[in-house]
Amino acid sequence: MNTNSLSRLWIMMRREVWESPFSFKWTPVIVVGFILLFTILALIIGARVDNEMVFTKDGIRQFAEMAVEQRSLLLYGVTISISAIFTQVMFVVVVFYLAGCLYDDRRDRSILFWKSLPISDTMTVASKILTAIVLAPLVYLAGTILIQILIMLIATCYSFLAGVNPFTTFWGPSNLPSMWLLLLFGGLVQGLWLLPLYAWILFCSSWAPRLPILIAVLVPVLIGIFQQFWSFFSDFRFSTENIMLTILERIGRGVVPATIEWDQITDGSERLTRPAEEMFMSYGSVVDSLFSLQMWIGIAIGIVFIVASIWFRKRATDS
Amino acid sequence: MKPTIYAKNLHRHYGKTRALDGVDMNIPAGRIVGLIGPNGAGKTTALKAILGLTNFEGELEVLGLDPSKNRDDLMQDVCFIADVAVLPRWARVWQIIDLTEKLHPRFSRKICMKYLSKTKIQQKSKVRALSKGMIVQLHLALVMAIDAKLLVLDEPTLGLDILFRKQFYSNLLNEYFDQQRTILITTHQVEEVEHILTDLIFIKDGKLIVNSSMDEIHDRYSEVMVSPESLEQARSMNPIHERVLFGRHIMLFDQAGREELELIGEIHKPSVADLFVALMGDKEAQEERVEGAA
Repeated sequence: MNTNSLSRLWIMMRREVWESPFSFKWTPVIVVGFILLFTILALIIGARVDNEMVFTKDGIRQFAEMAVEQRSLLLYGVTISISAIFTQVMFVVVVFYLAGCLYDDRRDRSILFWKSLPISDTMTVASKILTAIVLAPLVYLAGTILIQILIMLIATCYSFLAGVNPFTTFWGPSNLPSMWLLLLFGGLVQGLWLLPLYAWILFCSSWAPRLPILIAVLVPVLIGIFQQFWSFFSDFRFSTENIMLTILERIGRGVVPATIEWDQITDGSERLTRPAEEMFMSYGSVVDSLFSLQMWIGIAIGIVFIVASIWFRKRATDS
Repeated sequence: MKPTIYAKNLHRHYGKTRALDGVDMNIPAGRIVGLIGPNGAGKTTALKAILGLTNFEGELEVLGLDPSKNRDDLMQDVCFIADVAVLPRWARVWQIIDLTEKLHPRFSRKICMKYLSKTKIQQKSKVRALSKGMIVQLHLALVMAIDAKLLVLDEPTLGLDILFRKQFYSNLLNEYFDQQRTILITTHQVEEVEHILTDLIFIKDGKLIVNSSMDEIHDRYSEVMVSPESLEQARSMNPIHERVLFGRHIMLFDQAGREELELIGEIHKPSVADLFVALMGDKEAQEERVEGAA
């Protein structure tokens, strides 16, 4: 791919942002606003209840006296949970974006304009899926970084109030820049992890005569119900393997920045995870996930759906 | 030199309906071709095949390329305006210009701006907020700024008022068209394009009824306003169409000698619209009309 194709791909992805400013610009801003609003509300209520802020200051001082590892873990937990909100909102936004991305222009006939430009259908489809798995994570990560910095600034104000050093207490142990790198890497890998689901929705968008989102959801749900009925009537028991469980598990792993032991949750076993460092996303867990068999099966399925989407896009016109 | 559009035995079926049924075309550069036909005759299918927007059977080459395989290459040299609705409604004018500039190697921003400056279109406006006429002006400005070899217009002026329509064609003819370019137009407003056409194609039920240059058409078909006393004689000469206007019988002849025709009445050049009615209209309905008038 030469620089010319890259710059064309880039303008095509900017096009997606122009078309869906709500998905890729305003939603992250709104999420930042909401988190900020709730943080400030909580602090105001806290200040009202806590006369002269005695307990607050005391709490901060106690926090400052903790072992640095413990402080790191706590700060890490708080800041990385914030990123989870962004990832989950992003997932919903991307699902709706993909459902419309090859459908809306067929419906409003602007596909005739896009097809009058010298752009291959492969490039068009690539720009959509890359918007979903690269551009969206970057934009939402920017939102995460922004709110993390804002919250740390609030913490800094409070630390001055409490008379502790904000840099050694908060900024240092939080290790934000290294977390951002991890979140970037993790976000991109999670995008690949979700590729089969994203590509399925893209595929529905490429041919559905109407309501691609409904088709994309209904087909796996119906298959799942059918699977259950089939195993119930053939074996007189419910199946343990079900497409819906597989999909839900994949979504779950794709939208939390953590290495939760999913088998335990889906088994209903009691040994749920306790808060500890190994629970959170780490380079190790991300790399493990990247090189897992499940990841590559998913990517293979994703590629099949993407190729099929290109095939339908080639044949798509306004009617 | 290779023809701009070369088609041989082009077929396209939708179920049992034959949208294209053995179409042959050979359009060289430097022509303005009108593709005229009733609704559902296969015009749009033919255009879509030429633009690589539909599959077909048979041979088709546009500027030496197979449009079903090389649409993206072909679109470097082909521009296309469908009826007014196709510019993305969410986009702003500057965004569309930016996109076209980055994606189209033959686009000139300078020329586009020159045309836009003559209109009331604002760069910041959303397409959604523009009137139908302004959207067509914008699309035309984009297309005229692209140095293409073939321009395909599918009902480009549908729903526009007469001022816009006249301006559209005069811009096209005076500022854009030259001997290296080819323009292919489909429209129902035949009267407005007939004086700019160099070639005429009539299509009906997927077949080409007429496919020749305007000069050939004027040589071949003559319209005669028959004097009342020559009516029987005129009818015996097998006119392909007869209509009655203010009590005068007007007949259309195919390849009749000029001298003979001068004997029976006044000769005119038939308009494309009259030719269309004569060649494409329902035969029985015509006869009824003539009998009713007589």
